[in-house]
Amino acid sequence: MKMVEFKNVSKRFGSTVVLDGVDLEIEAGEVVVLIGPSGSGKSTLLRCINALETIDGGDLLVDGLSVRGSKATVREIRQEAGMVFQQFNLFPQMTALQNVAFGPQQVRHTSKAQAEQEAMALLEKVGLLERKDHYPNELSGGQQQRVAIARALAIRPKLMLFDEPTSALDPELRQEVLRVMQDLAEEGMTMIVVTHEISFARKVGTRLIFMEHGHIAVDGAPNELIDQASNPRLRDFLQHVG
Amino acid sequence: MEFDFSVIIDALPALFKGAQLTLFITVVGLVGGSLVGLIFGLMRAYGNKLINSIAFVYIEVVRGTPIVVQVMFIYFALPVIADIRVDPITAAVTSIIVNAGAYIAEIVRGAFLSVPRGLKEAGLALGMPVWRVLAFVVGPVAFRRMTPPLGNQFIVSLKDTSLFIVIGVGELTRQGQEIMAANFRAVEIWSAVAIFYLVMIGVLTFALRAVENRMRIL
Repeated sequence: MKMVEFKNVSKRFGSTVVLDGVDLEIEAGEVVVLIGPSGSGKSTLLRCINALETIDGGDLLVDGLSVRGSKATVREIRQEAGMVFQQFNLFPQMTALQNVAFGPQQVRHTSKAQAEQEAMALLEKVGLLERKDHYPNELSGGQQQRVAIARALAIRPKLMLFDEPTSALDPELRQEVLRVMQDLAEEGMTMIVVTHEISFARKVGTRLIFMEHGHIAVDGAPNELIDQASNPRLRDFLQHVG
Repeated sequence: MEFDFSVIIDALPALFKGAQLTLFITVVGLVGGSLVGLIFGLMRAYGNKLINSIAFVYIEVVRGTPIVVQVMFIYFALPVIADIRVDPITAAVTSIIVNAGAYIAEIVRGAFLSVPRGLKEAGLALGMPVWRVLAFVVGPVAFRRMTPPLGNQFIVSLKDTSLFIVIGVGELTRQGQEIMAANFRAVEIWSAVAIFYLVMIGVLTFALRAVENRMRIL
């Protein structure tokens, strides 16, 4: 079953072409790792999927719904595609529990009691149940990102988008976030991950995509591509991040 | 000269009456002004070109003219050009609404736009409609950031009511002026009037501080 379908998608910022006729199909259950130099369009590609960026040409379907559809369609897509941001973006006026319980109450019409009960289960899953009453500024970066993952999962998405989820974290805090992501992948969640964590791509990814100048330059199995990259620029890139 | 407290005692009933009117104009004016400010501030921050321009013109006209001119216009010019006749107190309240509204609009705009864009995106990414994101995600953070400049504007507006002496509203300053014209005890009366303002603004300041202490600024 196709979860995400890019059909000749293009995106410009002013006169800069960021996505240049991208074609891409992602099946349910895939864990796609997107890598590439900065400015290659990988974050933009991810943000087009939940329509945080609007596309200028082509079409993009998420679980059969077009991002060019009505506002209601776009909201539906966003409820199917949870997003985790580089800067966590937790709601600072809410505790960890409230952050996680907020989405379902807003968009799924879940009762407060029900939403909080589910939020507790999710916080337990990311190992932060005992921190449920702490505010974001009382949590470490790694803890904040795990709460953010729980918040995205709370609306029961079919697909999870990760935009450089560990790039703002100290090296010793990255592992706790990557472990949660790995658990999620092992449960069969469809994931698209923009990252520089090559070891994550190797261990958890089912597919690796290398982007360059708004194109998909290389697309294949992570281990093969990492061990025997035939594309010289991918080889070069791996040497720099690895 | 001698400071005669009995002059102040005698003046107290009139000054209290004036202070009451000052408070009435300020409170009603600021409730209205906050509402107007919220609407026009959001129009400036999130409106399309047309809506934004409308709000911009309103704000610039108000900020570009003195409040005394504004109240004179409402009280003396509106009856001539539009046949709208209002009593002095209505003119005074309207002036505060219109005047404070423009300044508060800029405070609202600044506060909403100062909230990191990521928060809005995080709300949108959950599939919430924009108005809900503004009301429940960005708004609460923006509101906390608004309290210091809002407090400033409240104080300014309270003191601006003294200018309504020009249209004969019997607020605190006007009361002082009238008593003084009868007994020529300038030192006692203006000291008393000043203390009345100080107390009112002191209470307002403490109230604002209490609000700020109850919530951390994020």
